[in-house]
Amino acid sequence: MAHLIMIEPDRVLAETYREACVRAGHSLVPCASAQAAILAADQKTPDAVIVELQLIQHSGIEFLYEFRSYPEWQHIPVIIHSVVSPAEFADNWELFKQQAGISRYLYKPHTTLKELLATVDGVLQPA
Amino acid sequence: MVRAEDSVILSQQLLVSVAEQIKLPLLQIARLAELGHTDRVQATADSALQLLDNYVLAVRLNLEAELTPLALEPVSVSSVLYDVGTQLSEYAKGYGINLELNVAGRYGTVMAHRQGLQAALVSLGLSLIEALPAQESPQLTLQLATHRCRYGVVAGLYTDTERLTGDVLKHGRRLHGASRQPLLNLTQNSGAGVFVADSLLQAMNLELKVSRHHRLFGLGAVLQPNNQLQLI
Repeated sequence: MAHLIMIEPDRVLAETYREACVRAGHSLVPCASAQAAILAADQKTPDAVIVELQLIQHSGIEFLYEFRSYPEWQHIPVIIHSVVSPAEFADNWELFKQQAGISRYLYKPHTTLKELLATVDGVLQPA
Repeated sequence: MVRAEDSVILSQQLLVSVAEQIKLPLLQIARLAELGHTDRVQATADSALQLLDNYVLAVRLNLEAELTPLALEPVSVSSVLYDVGTQLSEYAKGYGINLELNVAGRYGTVMAHRQGLQAALVSLGLSLIEALPAQESPQLTLQLATHRCRYGVVAGLYTDTERLTGDVLKHGRRLHGASRQPLLNLTQNSGAGVFVADSLLQAMNLELKVSRHHRLFGLGAVLQPNNQLQLI
C-alpha cells in the first residue's frame, strides 16, 4: 500500500481519484492547491505525488520547484496528470522534465483510472 | 455598436473558452462512469448542457443586438434568482456547496431579457461552484443575493473568498482568448461561465461587475430599475 498526494483543484475529480486509489489499496490525500500539498507532504512523506499543473494562484510548476528544493523530497516520484497537453511545452519539455524530476506525464482527458493506477504502480516499482 | 468582425472574434474566443470548460464535466462523467457512479452523472451532464445552451443564447442575443437593440422587459429579480438557485442546486450539492438565497427587501422589477439574465446568472454560478472548493474558502457557501447600489440594482452570486477583486475580472477580460486560465486567482479552468455571462449581459447593454454584498465578495449584474412600474 502506497501513500499518495494528489494536487487536483476540482473537488468532484479529486474525490473520484481518491476512491479509485483506495479501491486499489493505496491511500491518497487530495489537495486543491500547491500550498496544501506542501503541508500534506510535510505531515506525512508521500511515496509518490500526482500533480495538476493548472491551479489557482501557484501553478503545478511552482509546486515542483518548491517540492524539489527540499533534499528529503528530491527522490520522490512525481507524475504529472494535467489538462495541459505535453505538446504545449514544445522544445522545453525535456529540460523541464529533467529539472523537475518528472517520472511520467499523463494528459488527464485521455487517461483512464486504470491507466493512472498502472502508472502509479509502475513508478513505485521501477523495472 | 459592436462591429461584425469584432463579434466574430469575440464569439470564437468564447467558443474556445467553452470548449476548454466543457472538458471538465465530460472528464467527470467518464471517470464517474468508470467507477460505476452512474447516479452522479446526471447533474454533471446537466451542467454541461446548461453551459452550452447559455453560450448559444449569448451568441444569438449578441447577433440580434447588432441589428437592433434588444427588447428588454420588466423582470422580477427575486423570481429570477429563485429560478437560478433551483437550476444550480443539484450541481452545488455535488461540490458540497451550500446555496443560499437572500432576496430580502423589495426591489420591484428591472429591465432585462429574462431568459438572458437567468442564463447569465446560471453561468456565473456554474463557474463559482467549480472554483469555490479550490479557493480554500472557510465556508463553502454561495449566496444568491440582490441589493441596491448607486448604479441601480445588483443581482449576483457572493462568497467569502477575498481573491475576487475588480482586478481579477479586468485582467481576465484582457486575457480572455489568449490564455487558457484567464481568471488566474478565481478559477483553475477557462472561466467560460463568467465570459458567457459577460457576453449575455453585454447583449442586453448591461454590465457584469465585481461587487460586495455585506461581508461577501461576488460577481453581479448591474440592472436598471423599471421606474415606470414603480410609479404605478
